[in-house]
Amino acid sequence: MSSAPAELEQPEVADADPLEAADRPWTTVVWNDPVNLMSYVTYVFQTYFGYPRSKAEKLMMDVHQRGKASVSTGSREEMERDVSAMHGYGLWATLQHD
Amino acid sequence: MTYTFRAGPDRTVQADLEQAVAQLLVQLFGEMIELLGPTESSAKPTTADPLAVELGLDDLGAEQPSVLPQDPALARLFPNAYPEDEQASAEFRRYTESDLRSGKRDRIRRALETLGTGQGGKFDMDEEQAQCWLGALNDLRLVLGARFGLSDDGQEPGGDLAPEDPMQVLVPAYYYLGYLQESLIEALPR
Repeated sequence: MSSAPAELEQPEVADADPLEAADRPWTTVVWNDPVNLMSYVTYVFQTYFGYPRSKAEKLMMDVHQRGKASVSTGSREEMERDVSAMHGYGLWATLQHD
Repeated sequence: MTYTFRAGPDRTVQADLEQAVAQLLVQLFGEMIELLGPTESSAKPTTADPLAVELGLDDLGAEQPSVLPQDPALARLFPNAYPEDEQASAEFRRYTESDLRSGKRDRIRRALETLGTGQGGKFDMDEEQAQCWLGALNDLRLVLGARFGLSDDGQEPGGDLAPEDPMQVLVPAYYYLGYLQESLIEALPR
């Protein structure tokens, strides 16, 4: 929302490719915490994102074992919606823009 | 057969709670509603000053939260969305936290409706009501976890509390609530 137009105004900057910046997706990251149940995290990934059980379980295991997992990607607006929904469910989620 | 939660017909969930459990939940859910703050009505302007309305200043009293709550339990429920960007986090918080708070309060109220005065016993829930229960139980466990100072997987719940800490009495409740939530997840339709 805010980063792409700002870069479009300065096309002369050598390493800022505005098209690439605009295309670069945002990510919803869910972090591990000691309270949420593994079954609950899986349930949330299944019901909110509509992921099949196997994918939901894999993402849950990534959160549990690696400390975090990228659970969805898209525009900044879409990811803010997902992060807010995760907070609603009680998962610890943040936005990331690699 | 005894159960706490089990799947019923047509995507419903059947509950059968002991009185002690129902009473504990009535108490803790009530405290959660207080913790999560007042109803939205506190944000409404007290007087409708025409000049203020014209200048767009009439909702000055409805200031939205912009910083991470100081209470660790609330900070856990409403974390910063942008870990390295304070300004973006504040902006995100301004347009999400109030709605999240009222959504969480509403879920707890829906769960409380099924508990009555805490007499316990059997009741049936539709899927939406059972999901309110699930969210309310999870938020309650998150708050207790924050009160116990839990921050990583290796910690024993309550292990860091002083022996005389009044939170000690809630350690067995925390474990039981985990069992209760697990049982509800198994009973919920997918």
